[in-house]
Amino acid sequence: MNTAQPLIEVQNLGMRYLTGRQALQGASFAVHPGELAVILGANGSGKSTMMRIIAGMAKPTDGYVKLAGQDITTMDGRQLRQARMALGMVFQHANLIKRRSVIANVVCGTLGRHRNVFTAFGGLPADEFGHGMRCLEQVGLTKFAYQRASTLSGGQAQRASIARALAQRPRALLADEPVASLDPEAAEEVMRLLRRLAKEDGMAVLAVLHQPDLARRYGDRLLGLRKGIIAFADTPANVSNGEIDSLYEGFNPA
Amino acid sequence: MNSETSAVIGLDASGTKPVMTRFRFLLRIGILVLLALLLAQAIYVVQARPQDIITGVSGMKDLISRAMPPDFADVPNELWPALETIDIAIFGTFFAVILALPLAVLAAHNTTPAKPVYYIVRMLIAVFRSVPDLVWALLFVTAVGLGPFAGALAITINSMGMLGRLLAEVIEDMDMGPMDALASTGAGRLQVFSHAVVPSVLPSLMGITLYQLDANIRSSVVLGFVGAGGIGFQLLTAMNLFQYPDVALLIIMMFAIVIGAERMSAALRKRVA
Repeated sequence: MNTAQPLIEVQNLGMRYLTGRQALQGASFAVHPGELAVILGANGSGKSTMMRIIAGMAKPTDGYVKLAGQDITTMDGRQLRQARMALGMVFQHANLIKRRSVIANVVCGTLGRHRNVFTAFGGLPADEFGHGMRCLEQVGLTKFAYQRASTLSGGQAQRASIARALAQRPRALLADEPVASLDPEAAEEVMRLLRRLAKEDGMAVLAVLHQPDLARRYGDRLLGLRKGIIAFADTPANVSNGEIDSLYEGFNPA
Repeated sequence: MNSETSAVIGLDASGTKPVMTRFRFLLRIGILVLLALLLAQAIYVVQARPQDIITGVSGMKDLISRAMPPDFADVPNELWPALETIDIAIFGTFFAVILALPLAVLAAHNTTPAKPVYYIVRMLIAVFRSVPDLVWALLFVTAVGLGPFAGALAITINSMGMLGRLLAEVIEDMDMGPMDALASTGAGRLQVFSHAVVPSVLPSLMGITLYQLDANIRSSVVLGFVGAGGIGFQLLTAMNLFQYPDVALLIIMMFAIVIGAERMSAALRKRVA
């Protein structure tokens, strides 16, 4: 068991919507530095609710989320934004600004720490371009730095969006279905990259995946979510195919 | 299925092929009669007298013969008013864009800070654009006096409404992904606006602006008629003084300005697309 402080810590998380629906109940887990954890679950299992709470976009009705030791569920506004900077986000779509160069897109990731009049009116912090290039190097896209983002393929764009998240200098990454819109080859590439960021750079990576096969091969730990409850949380070797299949069986979205 | 229900839903006895029912036939006749009535009342109200077109031909011939040849010697005197006409449009378009940008952000449902703001700004925009620029010009002539400035203000207000609405639509059609992604990195509201919204709407913004500039040059030609400066005012004066060769020249110059603006706007729009 990892003894270092977890970067993402979820404790007894519960969420009951005003409609009375219990979307999440008693969910607890932690992601440590150097670890890639994967959340699996059918639509409506509470994955999105969980992601939104971890990202600080929603408040739970029970429990707490700690990012790098700081409880974000009690924070608001500026304080929340500061604490959230420890967490980089990767989405299903790359969400790059297509008309700007790849490097400009990456440097955009540093805007949070450069809040001034110049950057508020479209300027990019010049002293971050070196850092931006290093982030591009990590995802293997340095030679595309000065191309328009629209010229990248789907997989390259997703890697560029990871570089943008890295430019933020996060200690943990939250990836919400990062390969859902990629072809199998590009998906492997992105998963390899996420794994390397965990192993070589000591980041904590939490990814939601819909492909049990990718989850098995790249995840250190699989978290199965069923009807808002964590059904299993173990290494891929200790989770049977039947257990994974049970997440998707006989499920009627509410 | 009996024949009555099949007639109502417009199917034949087998229930598959649509057929023309008596009701539909009557409906069509009714619509045609209504259209004919609509046209008839329009002809009556505009007091259309076709014979006047025939007798009017000789009047037009007389007018044209008196206007020929156009007074090209007067060109130097008309250059300044022509420049005024173009500059009224440039001034109006420029300030309209500056003012329309924030309005559009408030009037797009995905960027507006609050619903009441959205409705208020939408209504403002509707007022700006639904009152014609000629009417705005009349109001501004009263307020700031005769001359090109009144025209420039009229164009500003009217195109602010036009651009505000079009830009709001561009912003509403925008992909929200990049905005969310930037916000997730800890960027502030203004940063998200200038780094994600502006770059994605810029090409449409430039296209719309160039189109508006073209439209504004056409309106600014006419604005002179109500005393708001430019070549239109010269035309009004020449007409009132029966200087028809001058009128001919001014019409040729207007034609050149409008066609030139249209061509230039189209060529530039092709470049930014």
